[in-house]
Parts: sequence; structure tokens; C-alpha cells
Amino acid sequence: MTAGRFVGQRVIRREDRRFTTGEGNYIDDIAVAGMLHAAFVRSDFARGIILSIDTTEAEASPGVIAVLTAADLNAMSGPMYSTLLGEAAAAPPMRALADGDVRYVGEPVAVVVARDRYLAEDAAELVFVDIEPQTPVIGPVFALDETDQIVHPERGTNLAQSFPVNDTPEVEAAFAGAAHVVSRQFTQSRATCVPMEGRGLIASWSPSSQTFEGWVSSQNSHEYHAHMARVLGVPHHHVRLRTGDIGGGFGQKVMVTRDEDCIVLASKALAMPIKWIEDRRENLIAANQARAEILDVSMALDEDANILACTVRHVEDVGAYAIGGHASASGNLANIFPGPYRIPLYGVGSRSAYTNTVGRGAYRGPWLSETTAREQMIDHIARELGIDPLELRRRNIITDEELPYTSATGMVYDNMALTGCLEQAIEMVDYEAFRSQQAAALQEGRYLGLGLSTYVEPGAISWGSLAAERAVLRIDPGGKVRLLLGSGEHGQSVGLTMSQLVAEYLGCGVDDVELIQGDTATTPFGGGTAGSRTSVIAGGATIGAAKVLRDKVASIAAHLLEAAPADIEVLDGRAFVAGSPAQGLSFAEIAHVAYRQTDQLAGGPEPDLEASHRYQPPNMFTFSNACHVCVCEVDIETGLVDLQRYIVSEDCGPLINPMVVEGQVSGGVVQGIGGVLYEHMAYDDAGNPLASTFLDYLLPGAAEMPIIEIGHCETLADTEGGFKGMSEGGTIGAPAAVANAVADALAPLGVLTGEFPMGPSQIIDLIEAAASASA
Amino acid sequence: MADVQMPPAVPVSVRVNGTARSGEVEARKTLADFLRDDCGLTGTHLACEHGACGACTVLVDGQAVRSCLLFAVQCQTREVVTVEGLTVDPETLTPVQQAFQDCHGLQCGFCTPGFVVSVTAFLADNPDPTEEEIRIGLSGNLCRCTGYQGIYAAVRQAAAELRGSK
Amino acid sequence: MKPAAFDYHAPTTIDEALDLLAAHGDDARVLAGGQSLVPLMAVRLSRTEHLVDLNTIPALAEIGSANGSLSVGSMVRQRTIEHDPTIAATVPLLARATPWIGHFQIRNQGTVGGSLAHADPAAEYPAVALALDAQMEIRSAGQTRTVTAENFFEGLFSTCIEAGELLTAITFPTRQPGEGFAINEVARRHGDFALVGTAARVAVDNQGAVTSSAIAMFGVGTTPQRVTATEQALIGADQDADLNAIAQISSTELAPFDDLHASASYRKRVGAVTVRRALTDAIEEARDG
Repeated sequence: MTAGRFVGQRVIRREDRRFTTGEGNYIDDIAVAGMLHAAFVRSDFARGIILSIDTTEAEASPGVIAVLTAADLNAMSGPMYSTLLGEAAAAPPMRALADGDVRYVGEPVAVVVARDRYLAEDAAELVFVDIEPQTPVIGPVFALDETDQIVHPERGTNLAQSFPVNDTPEVEAAFAGAAHVVSRQFTQSRATCVPMEGRGLIASWSPSSQTFEGWVSSQNSHEYHAHMARVLGVPHHHVRLRTGDIGGGFGQKVMVTRDEDCIVLASKALAMPIKWIEDRRENLIAANQARAEILDVSMALDEDANILACTVRHVEDVGAYAIGGHASASGNLANIFPGPYRIPLYGVGSRSAYTNTVGRGAYRGPWLSETTAREQMIDHIARELGIDPLELRRRNIITDEELPYTSATGMVYDNMALTGCLEQAIEMVDYEAFRSQQAAALQEGRYLGLGLSTYVEPGAISWGSLAAERAVLRIDPGGKVRLLLGSGEHGQSVGLTMSQLVAEYLGCGVDDVELIQGDTATTPFGGGTAGSRTSVIAGGATIGAAKVLRDKVASIAAHLLEAAPADIEVLDGRAFVAGSPAQGLSFAEIAHVAYRQTDQLAGGPEPDLEASHRYQPPNMFTFSNACHVCVCEVDIETGLVDLQRYIVSEDCGPLINPMVVEGQVSGGVVQGIGGVLYEHMAYDDAGNPLASTFLDYLLPGAAEMPIIEIGHCETLADTEGGFKGMSEGGTIGAPAAVANAVADALAPLGVLTGEFPMGPSQIIDLIEAAASASA
Repeated sequence: MADVQMPPAVPVSVRVNGTARSGEVEARKTLADFLRDDCGLTGTHLACEHGACGACTVLVDGQAVRSCLLFAVQCQTREVVTVEGLTVDPETLTPVQQAFQDCHGLQCGFCTPGFVVSVTAFLADNPDPTEEEIRIGLSGNLCRCTGYQGIYAAVRQAAAELRGSK
Repeated sequence: MKPAAFDYHAPTTIDEALDLLAAHGDDARVLAGGQSLVPLMAVRLSRTEHLVDLNTIPALAEIGSANGSLSVGSMVRQRTIEHDPTIAATVPLLARATPWIGHFQIRNQGTVGGSLAHADPAAEYPAVALALDAQMEIRSAGQTRTVTAENFFEGLFSTCIEAGELLTAITFPTRQPGEGFAINEVARRHGDFALVGTAARVAVDNQGAVTSSAIAMFGVGTTPQRVTATEQALIGADQDADLNAIAQISSTELAPFDDLHASASYRKRVGAVTVRRALTDAIEEARDG
């Protein structure tokens, strides 16, 4: 699709002026008169009985207003659960503060409210929590199969949820009769989102009006609103939340966490505004984590290496208090594990385990273990069968001719460039040339590797509270354009891209548009920004509203210019008779009439410069897809991996702003790289998190990242604008691409891979193990 | 709350962005918190408070340093420049700031002040860096949104712009 | 993550600082660059009643040369060492180790004395001091004593500096003809603490055979460590020497730890690689001049 005047253009962001000059307005930059500061006392034990909590010394500490425990807060609280998923999904019920026992290191036990954070931390040290430790349950397999210790006595089992194995007799028959059956286990290591800005909020309860106002750092302020109203026990309209700038989220700020609920309740208990800003240690050990999963994959193939069937047995660690079932990988594992391949038969079983660790939450592509495992499996099978991994993919990938294709799981893939992205990525990397270089390097004792990873991304989920978005668009009395959305951008340039849509479809400049989001009193109800949905759903709503408003502008202009509406063009913030741009009216002039001189429209159109449009995409998922290629060199003496090239060919439909899309892909890829080579939220057997600072939880750094080359294929979805969601895709494809590149590099040494992390120590272990095995 | 004596505060006066800023703070108050709370300069951000991420970077006597690892009381004879003080003319972005905007070197913006200050100092020391030197020069600042791609480009553009304008 | 409260002192002379340290004993800590200390204070693993700021004492930041040695004040910044041509020429191992320390922002504040006194076993400067047999000048209100690097590092994050004492200067031997120096380390990301590393000094005779060496490894235990059996085995090494085999001896001399980032066996195995790589570079330099 050819780019429009604005859609498809690399428009730069206006707000960068604020951000680069230090004029951002993040939660910790915001002050409310009289606000106090909170610090938590957190459990140092993964599991234990609370024998006593002595707050006497803490209460006497300088600057302390109150020290609150479960006895003060918990009974005040309404039920804490995600509105999207419902009360039943919060099992066991969330509690504000630990009550009688502790179930993970970092669990909040008390909250200190003081004049500043320094004083609050002083007092927190003086709260004496006497805990009788109990043996913690650590590790999902241990939790499910190897212990009788129960994380949540009220649940009676460590099985948090399960999808029973659903292998059909056809699946079993396919395996029984297959020429090749290959099985392997893949594990992802535990990771956490690490937005550069942690969680934070300012909670203000007004006892006289029984209302609550909050400033939140949230991806979905309407969800936060509903949740907080419920927790406070007030009607929905007694709450107002606002957001400023948000310093990243990646899923960690989609749903209210119990720490935030504690602050909300504390503000009510004390009738004082309270600010809580999470520090980095808290963000690492007490904010929700993700990715801790084990997948046992089996594939049956015929003699031509066509995949006949596959099965997956999945175990995931959801910690003690997961944020709802949606964070679980199980659902989408059931839906999309076969990925972009022609796999006619699929069986899956999944078990989620409670453990005495912090709970699982959403993290960019929460289900991505399906790609991590499947794509590593494809490469593993290729090596086992002596086939080129590209060739194996070419034989099994769904071709354009087969679209629309209904997968074994009932997913319908249409309008996707499954083969196209694979072939574009291969061309971009110059696959044949690489294989020659690789062979030559091996002769010199150097180990180069190439890893492929291709996937489908179920974006823009449209269901329940997330089914639709509404856009309210108005020309204000000054002639500028205001757009109100229920979005919650935190880096995705929603304001910019939606402004581009408005500019395109209403007929104004990008800089004429201002997006208002986050304020739950004024913005339409929405699903926030997460789940690769904003371009599709909010974009669709915005386009719809822009078209309606354009027609209203044209009607008013037509009346004032004594022309027919069909003859009116609206462009660059003016409405004029087509062919006579000089004889027209600016939006400001039209607004002046519509707001202040409505008698000029008597007998004509309504003096109405506002449009409201709700958009729901036609399908529950809008699928995008991509193919990643990673080229690396492994120093087999040190285990260090040098990422030399990284290629992404992606299809997300038309790009509203290629610069924004490429930024999202790049950020996602680097998070995926991090999850393989650097990041490991490890717990010891006593349930202590071992990576509580950035010295141990290693984020990918600027010196080590490859230049990411991005190509685009473009097929149109049947959504408004043809857009597809893509923001999680970079993270989805990268782990397998990196792991496969390392495995490819080390294959000549007989190394077999499948476990994360793949830091230098693990890689040397793998090389040693392979050397011993072959000795 | 008991009638408890507050901890002692000491008088502090630090030159920030060319102006003497005074306050009475505890000795343990970091320069970062002094800038944010007492000077109202919230452009300097705290993302780790243990010197690992670079978000809090400011210039002290022209050198890029982590303001979370300095105490305000240490800075009384030194000149501090924050991200807010880089632009002499508030309507005009510096070449570094402009390059970050042009090259999409930021998304959520939270790490950006630290990068802008660090890159400003880096290019002052090393106006014609190699690609490798750029990468090493950036290694003291963490970003979670961009994957660094736009940031590499921003440094190249800013370096060229600064060299060209000399 | 806010530090616990302390009284702050800003002496302007060494004697003033020593008097404060004598007065407050165990209740006082000195503040050098703060790049290691302040993070510990932020998480409250370190706290003190009296913080004595050394940044206000110009006398601690002097560099002086004497015959065959260079005296570096403990408050000399890592940045200064990194860019000083005299140090690059006369104590090359110290200069070459410096770019490996963290990032330039850290080095703008960090000091040589602070790094040595903090005694992180994975840090570069302690190993350099050990490889060069540096002399540490330690002063208290009553006296001055000199301790060799070998006796300075006592254990994990601990040195022989007692309460009331201050590391004031470090004396390094300057480069002699026929000497070569190299540092080699493995870190996961640029600027990270080393998983394991080697700082080496080598001297060769007119035929290019090794006459002596000092091979100090870091990231290998509670302190940096000289692998003396490896040094012994290197004596006499000529152009045909099997440096790989000699370097392997180092792994028999070490008892490193497992931690989140690397296993003990990794540190031994890859430590030997860093020994070989450092020796290769140092010997080549020694033979060239």
C-alpha cells in the first residue's frame, strides 16, 4: 500500500522535545499537596508463620505517621482481582498485606507512611517481624510432583490450573506410524519486565465525599479504576485516576498489584494522600515475574520430513500470587503452538504450579514459550535428520496458496505473509553466503552460527473488556483537534500514530492533534495499551471518528460556503470548495461559528464538531507474523556470544509510522536477547531471589547489541486500515533465533541445547558435556 | 506520631545550571534527590539508585557522573548541570537532543535524560568516535525500550552535527 | 533505596582526616569516589555514624615520581589514570586496566585508593597492585606504615586497614627494559565485573626467554591471587614454550566460588584462557622492548 500523506510516514515525535529536555511528567515528578511517602516492610522468608509484628519502635521513629499491618488494612478491602478475568481467576484470593503467614520473599508485611522516603525506610528497618520459617516450595515440578508441602493451604493443592492432555487417537496413531519421532525438553528461565520506571502511584482518599483520586503509572487506567473502586468499596463514579508520562511497562503495569492496593487502602485508612514509588530492588524481587516454563515437545514426521503431529507437555511456575490467569502461557499455547506450519494434529497438556515465589504476571508476549520451544525444536529436528533447518521450514511452512488456513487448533490464518517473511529474511541475511562463511570459519577454528525463528502473533485480542475501543474526537473552540482514547501509552508513540491517523482521515496537520489518555473521568472506557492492540482497535476507532468528524466539518463548511458537502475538501486544517483552496475556512473559523455563532447555522447542519466512534475488530485475534534470523560467533574458550547480525522480516499490515514499528521491533528483540543471554531471575532452594539489583539481573547493554535490520512484508488484515498488532513480536521471535544461532555454532562440537539462560558459564558447561559424551 | 525530633539537617548550597540553589537537607540526601525535591528539577530520574543504569547522570564540573552516588553536601564547591540546563535557549534543542528526536532514540523517555547528558559529555571528550567507541561510550546507560538502535544513530548524527558546526 | 543517616565531615588536610578517624574509630568510614561504597549504603549493607569525605583533600590526589617508582595518591581519579601519558608510559599495567573499570561515568568519580580499599576480588586494580608488588602507604594519626600488596588484601572486601587508618598513597614500580604487561578478562557485558581475569607482568632476557613474571588473577576467590606455580613454570620460557600448557597450571592453584554468573569450574577453566592470552601479549611486548 502506498503511503498516505501521513499514514506510512516517518513522522518524528513532538513529545521528544519534553523528554530530551527533562520536562517529562512521570509519577515521581508529580506532587499532591500534603502527600506522605510509603515504604514497605517485606518478608525475608519464602514461607513461614508470622508469630508477631512489633511496630512500636517504628511508630516512634522520626517523621512517621503510621505503620500499618494486615490488621489495619486487609478487612477494609474489597476483593482484589482483574476485572477482565473475573473474581474466580484470582485463586487464591489476593490479600493486601501478609496475614498470619508469608508466602514469598518480598511479600509486603507492613507499610510505613512517613514524611519522606528516607524516614519511611528508617522506620521500616525498625519493624520487627518474627517469622517461624517453613520449608518453601521452590520449582514447579517439585511443587507438582515431588512434595506434599502446600503453598496455599486454602487451595489444598499446588496445581494452580491445568489443561488436561487432549491427545486424540489420531495424534497417537500419527506418532505410532511415523518415520521419525523426535522429543526434546526446552526450558525458559525466569525473567522480569524491568521497565526503567517501576511501579508507583499517589493515592488520595477524601472522607468527606467518599471519593478517591489517584495518579497512577498504568498501562490501563480504566482497569485500575474498576479495581480500585471495588477495593475501596465505592461506586464506580467515586473514583478518578489520571496518568502522566509512563516510563515503560511491558505488562507489569496492566493490572493493579497488591502493593498498589495497600497504598490505596492506606490513603483511606489515614485519610491522607500517600505516594509510593517502587525502588529497583522492589521492582526486581516483588513485582510480578514471568517466563518460568518447561516444555516437553514431541514431533512426528514422515520420511520427507513433513511434520505429521506434535505434542506439548507444559509446566509453568506461576508463583504464589499470579496476576490472574491471563498471564499464564497455557491459553495461547493451546491455540497457536503449531505456529506458521502445516501441522495437522496437535495435542497439548499444561499444568501451572504455585510456588513460594513472587507471582507471575504479563510480560511482553506472555505465551512466547510456544515459539521458543517450537523453533528450537525445528532446528533440533533438522540436525537430527541431517536436513538444513531452512529446508525443513520450507517444507512445512504454510504457503500463500493454502490461505486461509485453519490450524489444528481452530485458528484461522489469512492475510499473512508466512512464507513471504521467511523468504525475505533469508534473502536479507544472504543465507547461502553465510553457510559458506560459516564453513570457512570452522576451518580456522571459529564457530559461527545462524538461527531462524518464525512465528504467528495473536495480536489485538478482542474479548471481554478488551473487545473494543472508543475514540472521541473533537475540534476545540480554538480550532485544534482533541482525541480522547482509553489507551495507556508508555513508549509506543500512541499519541503520534493516532495523530497521524486523524491528520490523514480528518484533514489536518499531525501537530494539530493532541491525544488525551489515562484520565478515567474524561476518556472513553478502553482496554489500555498492551497485547499489541492499540493500532488495530484504537486505530480503528480513531479512523472511524475522524471520518465522521470530517463529514461534520464538511457539512458546516458547505453551509457557510454555500456549496454542496460533496464538493468540500478538508485538508491541512481547512475546509474549502474543491479546486479553490484559497476560498475556504480554517478549523478555527469553523469552530468559532459552531461554538459561538450558532445562528449562522440556523436551518442547516448541527453546530457539532465532535464525533464518537466505537470499533471492534472482526476477529478475536488479528494475526501478524515475522521471521527472525540471528547470526552469532561463539568464543568456545570463554563461552561469550558475539551477536553479529540480526534480521527481522515482519508483516504487520500497513505501517502507520515505520519509525515507530521498527522501534517496537528493536526493543522487543533486545528483550528477547536478554532472556537468553543475560537475564536470569534465579531463586535459591530457600526461595531467596538471587538477582535483586542490576549487578545481578543483567539487562542487555549498548555495547553488545547487534544492529537490527528490519524488512517488511505487507498484507492487509480485514481490520480498519488493514493494521495488525505487532509490538510484542520482537520479543516473541528473538529467544529461539538466538538460541538456534548458538546451537548452530556449537553443533560441530556435538553440543545439544534447550535450556536458558545461555550465559558464558552455561555454554562452557555444554561444550564440556559434549566433549565428555564423545570421549 | 510521637513528638520525635527530626534528624539534623545541614545547610547546603549547590550551583545548579548556573544558579546557586540552597536548602537544608540531611547529609545523606543524594544529589539526585536534592535536585528533584529541593530544586524542583525532576528531569534527572532514578531508575536503580545503585549506580548501574545511568538514568540519574548529571554533569559535575563538566564530567558525567551518577547523581545517585553523590551526596548533595559533597557538591557545594562544584558546578552541577542537569538535563534541564543543557539547552541555553529553551526553544532550541542541542544537537544531541535534536538527534535523539530525529533518530527515535527514545520511546518511554525515562532513561533519556541520562543518555542525553552522558552523550553530551562523551562527545565533548571524543568528538569523532568510532562505532566501537560509541558502543562502549553508551554502555553505562541502560535502555529497555529502544534496543539501542535509535540511540546509536542519534550519537552518530549528533557527532557529525557537532563536528560540522565547528 | 535510601542510605541510613550519618554525620558528614569534610576535612581539607590529611591530618584533619586522620584526627577524625582516630576520634571516631569503628564509627567512621571514609568516602572516596563512592562508586562502590554508596550503592552499599543505598541498600543499607553499609552504614556509618561518621562519613569522612576525602574528596576535599587535594593532598591525597597528587602523583609523584621517584627513581624507578611512581607514587599515586589514593584519591587520584580513575579517569586521570586512564588519560595520563606518564602513567601510560611508566606504569602501563595500571593504565591498561583502567578502561575495563565500569563505564566512563564511574571512572570520572572512582579513585585508585577507593578501588583498592574496597577490595572487590573481581576488580582489576587489586590484581594490578598484586602483579606489580605495589606498596601501600597507610597512615594514622600516630604513624605511617607501608604494606606490600601481598599483605594488603586479607579477605572478601577486606584489607589490613584498621579503624583509624587511611590509605594515602600507592607506589608502583615503573617499567624497566625487557618488561611487558597485559590484562585480560572475561566479562558478560562491557564494564561488568570480570567473571575471571589476569593481570600479568613479564620480564625477558636478551634472548627473549622469560626471567620472571607476576601473574595475578581476579574473580578467583576472596582476594586476587598470584598463581606462583604458573609463574615458576614460566621461567625460561622461550619462543617454543607451550603457553597453553603453562597457563593450565593456574587452574590447579585456584579455589574459586560458584555464583549466579559463573561456576567455580568455569573460573578455573576460563581463568587459564585469560592467563594464556595475557601472557601472550605481555611476552610479545617484553620481547619488543
